[in-house]
Amino acid sequence: MAAAVSLVVAVPVVVVLSSIFRDSGGVWAHLAQTRLADYAIGTASLCLGVGLLATSVGVAAAWLLTAYQFPGSRWLSWMQLLPLAVPGYIAAYAMTDLLQFSGPVQGWLREMLGWSRGDYWFPEIRSLGGAIVVLGFSLYPYVFFAARSAFLSQPASVLEAGRTLGRGPLGTFWSIALPMARPAVAGAALLVVMETAADFGTADYCAVDTFSTGVYRTWFGLDSVVGASQLSSVLLAAVVSLLILETLGRRGRRYHETSARSRQAHCTTLGGPAGLLAACMCALPVVVGFVAPAGRLVWLAIDHGAEHRWTLLVEHAGRSVLLGGTSAVVAVMLAVVVIYSRRIDSGLTVRVAAMVARSGYAIPGPVLAIGLLASLGWIDHAINDASAAWRPDAARPGLILTGSIFAVLIGYQARFLAVGLAMVESGFARVNPRLDDTARSLGSTPLRTLARVHLPMIRFSLFAAGVLVFVDVVKELPATLMLRPFNFDTLAVRVYQLASDERLGEAAPAAIAIVFMGMLPVALLSRIMSTPSQAAAESRRGARDDR
Amino acid sequence: MTANSETPTAPTLGVRRLCFSYCRGAAVIRDLDLSVHRGQVLAVLGRSGCGKTTLLRLIAGLERPRSGTIEIEGRSVSDSTGFVPPERRRVGVVFQDLALFPHLSVARNICFGMRRVPRRTRRDRASELLALVGLNGYEDRMPHTLSGGQQQRIAVARALASGPRVVLLDEPFSALDEGLRESVRAELIERLREAGVATVLVTHNRAEAESAADRLLDLDRRSQGECTAGSAGCDRLDSEARVGILVETQSQ
Repeated sequence: MAAAVSLVVAVPVVVVLSSIFRDSGGVWAHLAQTRLADYAIGTASLCLGVGLLATSVGVAAAWLLTAYQFPGSRWLSWMQLLPLAVPGYIAAYAMTDLLQFSGPVQGWLREMLGWSRGDYWFPEIRSLGGAIVVLGFSLYPYVFFAARSAFLSQPASVLEAGRTLGRGPLGTFWSIALPMARPAVAGAALLVVMETAADFGTADYCAVDTFSTGVYRTWFGLDSVVGASQLSSVLLAAVVSLLILETLGRRGRRYHETSARSRQAHCTTLGGPAGLLAACMCALPVVVGFVAPAGRLVWLAIDHGAEHRWTLLVEHAGRSVLLGGTSAVVAVMLAVVVIYSRRIDSGLTVRVAAMVARSGYAIPGPVLAIGLLASLGWIDHAINDASAAWRPDAARPGLILTGSIFAVLIGYQARFLAVGLAMVESGFARVNPRLDDTARSLGSTPLRTLARVHLPMIRFSLFAAGVLVFVDVVKELPATLMLRPFNFDTLAVRVYQLASDERLGEAAPAAIAIVFMGMLPVALLSRIMSTPSQAAAESRRGARDDR
Repeated sequence: MTANSETPTAPTLGVRRLCFSYCRGAAVIRDLDLSVHRGQVLAVLGRSGCGKTTLLRLIAGLERPRSGTIEIEGRSVSDSTGFVPPERRRVGVVFQDLALFPHLSVARNICFGMRRVPRRTRRDRASELLALVGLNGYEDRMPHTLSGGQQQRIAVARALASGPRVVLLDEPFSALDEGLRESVRAELIERLREAGVATVLVTHNRAEAESAADRLLDLDRRSQGECTAGSAGCDRLDSEARVGILVETQSQ
């Protein structure tokens, strides 16, 4: 059963990779000559820039908020998670609107300083730099979360030993705290880079040529599934080599705690100008990543109040909730199947199946969509051919899979099952295996043990897994865009389409709805974060290094 | 500095009228005086929770005292007018949990504090210190591959590497088993005396304290005395009680 689940991820990947051997009718040759170098450079610079920015912002905020206490530090701790609620593409739309020539910021500057067009230089959001800033500030919470857990788990005495051996507070951070947190930070940075590689909406809007936008254009513009698959293979190869590099880099770098976990480091209190500076430094990413885009969207929604088509919004929201809800329930059930199978049977098949199912998160949405379109399309055609051969005069069944929401639902499972798996697994990990043994020795079957012992005990993890999958589905743009049935628009698709037509005012309510739903897991995560030991356990699970 | 330690004038470590309390709690340390000369070992005895470790943290600069002064080699490092941070005190600390840096090799753990030593000679100096603690050839091992006793000796070597004037040992032998404890302790104390540092050894084991130290400070008896003296501020305790606590067990 677990093996069947893993096929959802494995099949699209195999189909994408097999496209290397197929003939794309000249599309590949055309791409290789004209666009390939641009895609490679664009993807690499975007990933590098976002990775560096998100890592430095996340680590700096995490260190300030664990080592020091200053005015507002408690609030700022959980607020660091807010930018996760704003998907990169929505942040890009809102920030562009805020900072463009006709936007409020430049308008205000011109009015205050008496400038007119051409008198001044102002950064352009719709550029590579703009995309890096937008994505960096929307993805840094991954690094923040991992770094904070790592810093919290460091024994105070190790940092104090650094002080008595002649390093100041900053020296202690650079030479001890940061190197010790490196595995966790590197894992989170890799996640950020993979999210960046998978990003479609932001790169598309900021006109950065990346593999993800290329895959979409090849499929949509050139109508070539094979060409898009071949392009996807390049991206997939890059992602896989990153994963291998990270695993190799981690080998032998798994530090063992040499100190018993004695005491947590106690915070130094920063008052006066230093405290104010620290508070500003921690507030800046929240402002750029959440307050500014979300605030602009709310303002736009109110300003364009008359133009909104509320019935349409409700319809789109209903579809988003339907897709998200179905996917969440299915993902949690599948995750329970996979994780429980692995718990009661540690055979190779189950272990490999769990690993494959988990790797779906690393596969960019457009790549997965292309793989699914190719494989499900093939099944659809086979069904139609079979039906034609069986009863030539009857009506054809049509595109049962690719023409219905089945395809998009499969796509979500392939991509987000990993999220459910991580949460469900951390729940199961907290159930003592002796309890399984006890239940079994009392005559309970494995299934009954699951229903009576495990599921009630891991309710919170199941719920959290469902919420995380739900939100990821609601936010997901490229897979929805490519796999949805004709004219089946969701909130994300609607926002994308309106924003592409420069109708941001109209897009605002739908974007706000996505941000609002995106704030659900923030509440969950902030609850987890409030207990450090659990946060550490979660982050270890989250780093997915226990293969 | 010459080796005329026979006539100790100013103590290497001097603590006067030291008071400390954690933000909400009652005073942990009240009006404490002590002095340790170079080559001397002072053992601090007491049950857990009586402020032994806190005293070491105050001397190391990891906590700020509420009042009182701490002097190292005649220079005030903590009084009402100033506070020298731990990194500028030249105090070596061996923590109870040893606190070796898990991400650095043994040699790099030891070299960590050698900021004054020229880069080229650091490695040689680390090897010398390893030889001193009987662990030649362990330079490139990682801390987690060592036994508890070996880790303890690395922690001592690391504390000595920066050439400290004062060394603080917080229950350093608790990780060792009974048989090993005696020999490691005797050897370590001998090294510290040779190095001419002033040592403060915290322990809850009276036999250990008596065999290792020149002088004893029993915080238990002190705190009992204090309890009867009333709950008022630091200046209640009379100096006679304080003097009585410092028991000379061994003459120089």
